[in-house]
Amino acid sequence: MSVTQALFAGIIFILAIGLYGLLASRHLIKVVISLQIMVKSAILALIAAGQAVGQINLAQSVALTVIVVDTIAAVLALALIVQIKHHTGGLDAAELNRLKH
Amino acid sequence: MAITIFLLVGAVVCAILAVRSKPLVAALWLAGLSAIAAILIYLLGAPQVAVIELSVGAGLITVLLAFAISMAEDESMPSSLIPQPLAWFLVLLAGGLLVWLILPEIPNVSQQVAADAPFVVQIWDNRLLDLIVQIVIILAGVLGVLSLLGETSKETHTEEASMEGLR
Amino acid sequence: MYREFLPYLIFLTIGTPWIGAFIVWVTSDNRPRALNFLASAFSLIAAIAALLLLDQSQWTATNEVSFQLPMGPFIGDMTFVADGLGVYLAVIATVIGSLTVIFSIGYMAGSAQLSRYYALVLLFIGSMCGLVLSGNLLFLFLFWEATAFCSYALISFHNDDPKAVAAGIKALIITQLGGVGLLIGIVIAAANLPDLQVSTFLAQSGSLPSNILAVIAFSFLFAAIAKSAQVPLHVWLPDAMEAPTPVSALIHAATMVNAGVYLLARFYPSFVPVTGWTTIVITVGILSALLAAGMAIMSNDLKRVLAYSTVSQLGYMVTGVGIGAIFQSQFYLFSHSIFKALLFLGAGAIIHELGTRDMREMGNLWKRMPQVAIPFLIGAAALVGLPFFNGYWSKELLIEAAFEYNLVVFGLLVIGAGITAFYASRMCWMVFFTKPQAAFESFAPVSSPHRPHVHWSMLLAIFILAINVLFAWLTAGRFALWLRAVLPYHAPYILHGHDPATLISWATIFSISALATLSVTILAIGAWWWRVRSDRPADVSGRMSLAIRWLDFAFNRSVSGIASVTMSAAGLLQKTQTGQLNWNTVGIAMALIALLIILVGIR
Repeated sequence: MSVTQALFAGIIFILAIGLYGLLASRHLIKVVISLQIMVKSAILALIAAGQAVGQINLAQSVALTVIVVDTIAAVLALALIVQIKHHTGGLDAAELNRLKH
Repeated sequence: MAITIFLLVGAVVCAILAVRSKPLVAALWLAGLSAIAAILIYLLGAPQVAVIELSVGAGLITVLLAFAISMAEDESMPSSLIPQPLAWFLVLLAGGLLVWLILPEIPNVSQQVAADAPFVVQIWDNRLLDLIVQIVIILAGVLGVLSLLGETSKETHTEEASMEGLR
Repeated sequence: MYREFLPYLIFLTIGTPWIGAFIVWVTSDNRPRALNFLASAFSLIAAIAALLLLDQSQWTATNEVSFQLPMGPFIGDMTFVADGLGVYLAVIATVIGSLTVIFSIGYMAGSAQLSRYYALVLLFIGSMCGLVLSGNLLFLFLFWEATAFCSYALISFHNDDPKAVAAGIKALIITQLGGVGLLIGIVIAAANLPDLQVSTFLAQSGSLPSNILAVIAFSFLFAAIAKSAQVPLHVWLPDAMEAPTPVSALIHAATMVNAGVYLLARFYPSFVPVTGWTTIVITVGILSALLAAGMAIMSNDLKRVLAYSTVSQLGYMVTGVGIGAIFQSQFYLFSHSIFKALLFLGAGAIIHELGTRDMREMGNLWKRMPQVAIPFLIGAAALVGLPFFNGYWSKELLIEAAFEYNLVVFGLLVIGAGITAFYASRMCWMVFFTKPQAAFESFAPVSSPHRPHVHWSMLLAIFILAINVLFAWLTAGRFALWLRAVLPYHAPYILHGHDPATLISWATIFSISALATLSVTILAIGAWWWRVRSDRPADVSGRMSLAIRWLDFAFNRSVSGIASVTMSAAGLLQKTQTGQLNWNTVGIAMALIALLIILVGIR
């Protein structure tokens, strides 16, 4: 089992944990956290693949883009969550199934 | 090798604890996961992205989450909407398929022949379009957040005005 | 004028309207005077920059590059080429755009959400300039989509009016369908050519296999038909008249609909070898010219008449491209933009003062609004092709080219000119000279001495356009020389065998085709005059009109048929949407697993 294989096994494990959190969480902020976990694993995968192939700098530039986009997505999601809390008073994903409140 | 395994185990533990805790504690475990990921990225030979990941992931995201949690509540929810066995099954199936797909291929991966340009050249010359798109996305995100949060203040103003009118 | 200014001029032409759009957008709605000033200033800066691009020191051939931004090896460079085809359209877009913005000062006075309106108009002007100046196929597509979006947003500008919203969505769907065609053509071209530059495409299209070239040619043609509202995809343009009239003048008469003709003209040398392409282009052009002219005879809504007239005149331009008369087609485009914008803006002034778009309720405006009537009649004379207005020269040159190409095409175009004269006379008669019909008397009682006061900005814009109609045709010879110098791939098609110096001359006036067209035109005007004299009603009915009306109805029904099929499919799928986040995620996870199973299976 080489280093890269162990690395990828660990990355897939983290991805799976993030996916479980996404499926099982009812609190919207836990959903955002689970998404962040999944994106961390994606970034790790990019860097690990870059190192395995020898193109670490190309992988770094792509990973930078991923980090920026993911951060903006998290920021917007949190702003939306604050608004949802303000308008509807709760953050339970089971209750929020209609656009109009 | 040993350090990598140790860090990976630590990352997995952080992730599991993040998923199982209440939101505020989960944010702290996420920060831990980001830090460990940053160290791993540094060890793999990508110091620039490691620094960025540390400051953005472990710093910025954690602060934002703490801010959002303070405006929302920290209560823990009742049990999940989806039956737990179903969630476990889907996750294990997806993870298993991914492992089966990826791990056997890894020994066949060979080093690319073309020389890897330095980081600065990659970012600013080859992927200039990425940078421009990133700037556009950041601007869009800023505008979006401003318009989202701007609604709160306008609403409270109109509420107060209507309250005044009623009185 | 220094050549080094070229990149800056291009940046000013495209970038100033966009910067202006952003600034206008963040300016509050409560300051209309600031908004008016900012919008006019930015569009005027862009217009001046575009006009400076006409100077000889800035001439660039199609295979040179005026300005480029390197974007890495994957998509090639973002190049801009300021050659004849592009700069001419950019000048039209910015100059008529700034006149429209000035007109809107008066027209949209007191309207709500003015900042959104100006921002969208400025965004549109910038996108249009980007589209015609672009030298990279991918960015041409991006700007194409940007103009389609602005057109949709401006048609549905009054978004509390359901008719406007429906019209906007109809326009969006049809033009986006055309955009898909354009994208398919570009992707296929990119797969077979070394890079995405327009000059590369023009130079190396001969080396593509003929079936691939045919696919690209017909997808580009489809995109052009959708964008320029040719038959059978013309149905969105008459409904798009729900937009505020300055928007109709800018987008749907002078600029966006020209993008389709520009696309055809730009890529004409590459597509000529494709069998059947030019035939289909000519067929589509003639069908549009005749069918839309027929529909214009029967409309009672002033803006709808002008919309059908636009479709018909675009048909002339498309036919011009099809027969290879690139210069005549571009010159016709130039003249048409000016006089059609003039007609739309004049109609806008009339509609603004009277409050109605129905021609049966208008009348006697010759006495009551002479300051609008005279420019409007100048524009109508240009549309009809009366001698020495710019419409006459462009129409004569185009029909003469058709005469040399094929007598059938020539004959049909001359018939079209006659129908044009007929509906134009009808329109002018009903608006200006006659009494409102008895049932519609409420709006403009004949004896009222009240002269509507027309805002100065509206009059200024109309006046400038009228001056252009009267004198802009003098530049035809110089324009032809310029095109010949800067379009190396089109050179065989620009005035083959003609000397540009003789374009505006007695020889043109007395050629057979010109005299034939003029006589048909005068006959048509005379026919309308005779009809008025014999006291027939202004509504034209009869078997021919029934046939044309039925065709138009059939087109509209097919479009709504597609829409209803889509809606019923959507209703079936709606049952799977519970709306709860976690169940949606289950769906995503299942899709992920399915994808992984497929990947494992492939391996």
